[in-house]
Amino acid sequence: MPLEGRFAAARALFFLAAAALGCSGSSHDASPPCAPNCLSPANFLSDTDVQRVISQAVGEAQARGAAATIAVVDRVGNVLAVFQMTGAQANVAIASGRGVLGGLEGVTVASTLAAIAKAITGAYLSSWGNAFSSRTASQIVQENFNPGEAQAPSGPLYGVQFSQLSCSDVNTNTTQGSLGPKRSPLGLSADPGGLPLYKNGALVGGIGVIADGVYGIDLNIFDVDQDLDELIAVAGSSGFSPPEDIRGERITANGHSFRFVDSESLASNPANAPAFGTLPGALVLVPGYVNASVSAGVAFGTPASGYGPATGTLGALGGFTLVDALNLPRFPVSAGVGPGALLANEVSRILEEGLKVAPRSRAQIRRPLGSAAEVSIVVVDLNGDILGLVRTPDAPVFGTDVAVQKARGALLFSLPNAAALIAALPAPIAGYVSAFAAFVGPGGALDGSTAWSTRALGNLHRPMYPDGISGTPAGPLSKDFSTWSPFNVGFQLDLVFNQLLDGANNDTSTGCAGRAAGADASPGPLPQAKNGIQIFPGGLPIYRSGTLIGAIGVSGDGVDQDDMVAFLALWNAGLGNAPSAMRADQLSPQGTELRYVQCPQSPFNGSNEQDVCAGL
Amino acid sequence: MRRAVAFAGALFFAGGALAQGTPAPSEDVKLPSEKNPGEEVIQRRPGQSEPLQFFPPPVDPRQVPAPAAAQPRETLPVPDRWRIMQGLGYRHPWYDPYNQNVLKGDLPISAGSDWFFNLSAVSDTLLEARRLPTPVPPQASTRAESVDSFGRGKQSTFAETLIVSLSLIKGDTTFRPPDLELRLTPAFNFNRSTAQEDRVLFADPREGRTRDDSHVALQEAFADVHLRNVSPRYDFDSIRVGIQPFSSDFRGFVFQDVPFGVRLFGTRDNNRWQYNLGWFRRIEKDTNSGLNDIGKGLRDDDTFVANAYRQDFPALGFTSQATVMFNRNTEGDGQHYDNNGFLVRPAAVGDERPHNYRVSYLGYNGDGHFGRLNLSVSLYAALGRDDHNPIAGRPQDIRAGFAAAELSRDFSWVRVRVNALLQSGDKDPFDGKATGFDAILENPLFAGADSSFWVRQAIPLIGGGGVTLSGRNGVLASLRSSKDEGQSNFVNPGLALLGAGADFDLTPQWRLIGNLSYLQFQSTEVLGVLRNQAPPSRSIGWDASLGVQWRPFMSQNMVLNASAAVLLPGEGLKQLYDTGPSGPLYSILANLLLAF
Repeated sequence: MPLEGRFAAARALFFLAAAALGCSGSSHDASPPCAPNCLSPANFLSDTDVQRVISQAVGEAQARGAAATIAVVDRVGNVLAVFQMTGAQANVAIASGRGVLGGLEGVTVASTLAAIAKAITGAYLSSWGNAFSSRTASQIVQENFNPGEAQAPSGPLYGVQFSQLSCSDVNTNTTQGSLGPKRSPLGLSADPGGLPLYKNGALVGGIGVIADGVYGIDLNIFDVDQDLDELIAVAGSSGFSPPEDIRGERITANGHSFRFVDSESLASNPANAPAFGTLPGALVLVPGYVNASVSAGVAFGTPASGYGPATGTLGALGGFTLVDALNLPRFPVSAGVGPGALLANEVSRILEEGLKVAPRSRAQIRRPLGSAAEVSIVVVDLNGDILGLVRTPDAPVFGTDVAVQKARGALLFSLPNAAALIAALPAPIAGYVSAFAAFVGPGGALDGSTAWSTRALGNLHRPMYPDGISGTPAGPLSKDFSTWSPFNVGFQLDLVFNQLLDGANNDTSTGCAGRAAGADASPGPLPQAKNGIQIFPGGLPIYRSGTLIGAIGVSGDGVDQDDMVAFLALWNAGLGNAPSAMRADQLSPQGTELRYVQCPQSPFNGSNEQDVCAGL
Repeated sequence: MRRAVAFAGALFFAGGALAQGTPAPSEDVKLPSEKNPGEEVIQRRPGQSEPLQFFPPPVDPRQVPAPAAAQPRETLPVPDRWRIMQGLGYRHPWYDPYNQNVLKGDLPISAGSDWFFNLSAVSDTLLEARRLPTPVPPQASTRAESVDSFGRGKQSTFAETLIVSLSLIKGDTTFRPPDLELRLTPAFNFNRSTAQEDRVLFADPREGRTRDDSHVALQEAFADVHLRNVSPRYDFDSIRVGIQPFSSDFRGFVFQDVPFGVRLFGTRDNNRWQYNLGWFRRIEKDTNSGLNDIGKGLRDDDTFVANAYRQDFPALGFTSQATVMFNRNTEGDGQHYDNNGFLVRPAAVGDERPHNYRVSYLGYNGDGHFGRLNLSVSLYAALGRDDHNPIAGRPQDIRAGFAAAELSRDFSWVRVRVNALLQSGDKDPFDGKATGFDAILENPLFAGADSSFWVRQAIPLIGGGGVTLSGRNGVLASLRSSKDEGQSNFVNPGLALLGAGADFDLTPQWRLIGNLSYLQFQSTEVLGVLRNQAPPSRSIGWDASLGVQWRPFMSQNMVLNASAAVLLPGEGLKQLYDTGPSGPLYSILANLLLAF
C-alpha cells in the first residue's frame, strides 16, 4: 500500500473516532458572491434603496435617542443623499484621542462632510472580494499594525487617509456629473461608522454616519466598541450588507485579520424602519457634493460611473480605465513631455506588463482564497502628469487616486531638483529638506542621486524609526511621536494642509500641494504632486540609463503586491528598475537600512515560485 | 540482590540488642520470629502470596564453629550502620560518586541522623546549527537589495546550562520510602544565538544578529511529605508541594513541565496501581533559555490532573494509564511580550483579541510490551471552550483529538521502530468549533524527538502572523506564538506523521539512531486564511535524521549526543516558503551531558 494510502486508512479510523467525540467541520461557500454578474448594469443603488438606507439608519438613531447626519454614496463616490436629523450637530471636531495638537487635530468641520468622507471610505476600500469599513481604515493607518501591538511595523496603508482629497486632479467633483471617482471632503475616514453597501453581492456604495460629535479613530482595537455612529450605519446597511465571506474579519494581512464592525447589537429593527417621508430632519445641500435630494447611484463599470473597459491592447488584457462623459479615456496612453521623456509605447508596455502580472498575483485583501490581485496602475512623467492609467475591473476605487499619489511621491523625491522644489514651498514644508538630509546622511540630499520608492519614503515618514519600534526617534518626514497622530503625520499632510482646509470650506479648485491658505491660483506651486503624495509601498521611480524619466504607482491589493506589480512591470517592460546602486536600500540612515521594495511571499497563485523579484 | 545482602547485614547488628532483651513482638511483619534451629521456617511475603516453606539444613559442627555470644570487645564501634565499610577502613574521596558518598545520599549527613543529602550536578552543553525559512524585516533590510520577503536562514545557538539539584531527605532510604524530601534545583544558563537577518532574535532590528543572554532559573523547589503507608508493601500516599516536574503521560504529549503545584500521589496493591491528583500553575518562562522565570511570577494557567496507572494491564509487561486533565487559562486580560520584544500572548494572529479558554483532556496511554513487541500508545480527546479564538474571531467549542503509537521490536542489538501520530486539524476556521488539537505544554519523546527537524525546529509562518507551524521541541502543528509562553490554539492545521526508525547499539559506548518520517497537515484551510492564499497542499515533506550517542564510560555520567536532520519539503511547504535556493532546511545538534 502506498504511504498516502496508509495514511488515508489511518485518518479514516481516526476521524471515525473523532466523529464519535463530536468533531466536525463545515466548509464555506467558495464562489465569489456576485459572480458572474458583478459588472451587471443592474447593480446600483436606486433612489428608493437610498431612502431605505437612510430610514433604517434614522430608525436606529431614534431608538438610541441620537441625532445623526447620514450620507449615502455610490461605489464611485457620487453622494446620493445627505440627511441630517433634527437636532444633529452641525459641526464635529477632529480628534484622534491621543491628546496631541497640530495638523487636523482640533479642527472643526461640518458634520455633512464627515458623513460623506465616512460613506466614501466604506465604498472605496471595498470591492466584490473584500468588505472594509472606516473601522478597517482606522486599523491600518496607525503607528503599529495592529494598533496596540508594540514593536510591530505601522499599518500597511499608513497615509491613505490623505487621499481622494478635495483638490485631487484624479478625482472629480459634481461639475463632471456622475463620473467617478469623486473627491472626499476630508480624505478617507478612520472614524467607525462608514460601511460599504452591497446588492446581489456586488458593491454598490457606502453609508457614512456621524452622531457622536467626534471625527476620530479607534485607538484600542482589542475591545468591542458599541460605537454609536457604527451601530446606526449597521442598521442603515441592513439588507445591503456584504456577503459574510468577504467581510474584513475573514481577510488577513501578515496574519492579522481586519476589523469590519465591532458591534451589530441594534436597538431597532431595520425592517420596521419609519417611512422616509416621516423622518425627523431634512435632506441637506452640501456644495460641491450633493443637492438636498435623493438620487440613484450609477452602476460600476458603466460609462456613467467614469470607469469603463480600456481599449486596444490594454482592453484586450481585460483592463479598465477612467473614462469621460464621451466614454473616452481620461488618461489615454501618451508620451511624456521633453527630451528623453517616456515614449507612449514604453508607457503602454509598462501598463500591459502590470496588467499581466496582477492577474497571476495572489490577492492579499480578497476572498475567496486564491483570488487574483486587483490593482490600479499609473505612469506619470517628470511633471507628474498622468501618461496612462489602467486597472483591473474590481480594483478598489481608492487605489485610483492612491496609485497616482504613489507615483508622484516616488517622483517628487527622486527628482534631481527635489530639494529645491520642496524648499521653495512655504513653511513648514520647506523645513523637511534639511531635516531629511541631516537624518539620512549620505544619499539624503534630494538631488536625484537616490531612487526613492514610496516604501523607502514610508520608512522615513513614520513616527518611529525603525518603523514601529518604540522609544526610537521619528523619521525626518514625520512629526515627533509626542505630537503625532493620524491627523498630524508630517510632510504628507503639511504638503496639502492648506488646500485640504480650503476644500472643507467650499474651495473645489484642483491642486493640493504647497498652496497657500485661502484663495490662490490652482493648481499650486508643485504640479508634480497635484493630488498630494502617498507614503506607503507601491510607487517607484522610472529610469532610463540611470536618468529619471517618470514614475509608476500601483495600488489595490496588498502593499507587497503593489510593490511587486510595479517592480515587475518595469522589468518586464524592458525599462528595468532603478540601478541598484541608486536605490534607497543602499542607504542606512541612523545605521538602519531602508527597504526599496518588498515582493510578497507566495506571490503567484497556482505556483510555487518565491523570491520573484530577486536580482531584477 | 544487593538489597537482600544489606538486609541481612542490618539484621545481624540489630539482632545483638534483641538477643539481650525480650523477643520482638511477633506481629511485626518486618522481622522474622524467633525460631529454633531445625524447625520449619515459614517465610511470608506481605500480601497474598503463598508462604514459602524452608527447612534449614542441619549444621555440620566440623565445618562451622558454633556462634559465640557477642562480646563487647569483639565488636568494632561504627558511627552508624551506613558506615560499616568506613569502620573497616574503606575510605573514598568526597567527590567519588561511585562509592558511598554523603553527597549522594548514601550516608546520613551526620552520624545517628536520618537526614540524607543528595547533590547532583549536570552540565548540559548544546551547539545547534539550523536553517529555517526566515523573513526579511519589513521595516529595515539587513542588507541592500533585499527585495523579497524571504531572507537568509542560517541560525545557530550555543547554550550551556548547569543544573544543580539539592535534596534533603529524611528517613531510612534503604528500607522504605523517605518521610520527607526537600529539593531545590537551580539552573544556570548562558546562551548565544546568531541569525543572518535582523528582527529574528530581537523585535528591534537595530539590536542585530547576535544575542547573548543568561538566566538563573529555579527548576525545582518542593517539599515532598510522605503521608502514610497503606500496606505492608509500603504502598503509600505522598504529597508534594512546590515547583516540581510533571508529565502527563509516558511521552510528554500533552503536559510536561516543571510548574508550581500540589500533587497527591501514591501506590496501591503492591505498586500495581499508581495515582496522581494534582493542581499545577504554570510558571512564566525565560524566553531564550526555556527555563522557569520566577521573577515574572506564575501564569494565569491552571491544570487539574487525576490519573491512574495500572501495571500489567491488559497483559503482563504493559502499563495502562487513564487520565483526566482540566486546563483553565485566564490570560485574556492583556498582552505579554517575550524577552526579545515579540508579542506572545495573545498571539499576533487573527484579530489579536485576548482570550481565555478551558479544555478537558481525556486520555488513555499505554506503554510496555506484548511478548517481544514493544508498544507505546497515546489517545487524547480535548473538549472545551475558547471564549474567543482570535483566528475564528468568535467563541468556539473545542472538539479535538490526538492519537500516537510507536511499535518496536528488538533484534539483538538493533531496535526497529515504526510510529504514527495523528493530530486533528480544523477544516473551517470560522465556524463555532475548534477541531485542531493542541497540548498544554508538550515535550514529546517521539519520532526522533529533538534529533528530528520537525520536532526540534519552529518554522515561523512568515507573512501569516507571529506564530510558528510547530513549536520548538514540539510535534503538534498548532500555530502558537511560542510553545513555552503562548496560549494553546485549537484552530490549527493538524498533523499526520508516519515514520520508521532504528537504534543500533553498536558497542556499549556507541549507539546510532536513525529516523525517517513523512509529515502532512490534516487541513490547510487555516494556513490559507492566515496567509490569504489558496490553502496549500497538505504535504509538509520528509524528515530524515541520523543521530549518534557516545557514552565513553558506559554510564550516564558523560553522554555526547549528536544529530543531523533535514526536512525535504513537500508541496505544501514549497507553496508557503522559499525552500530551495538558499539550501536545505537542516537542524544539526551536538549536546554534551556531564553528570555528577
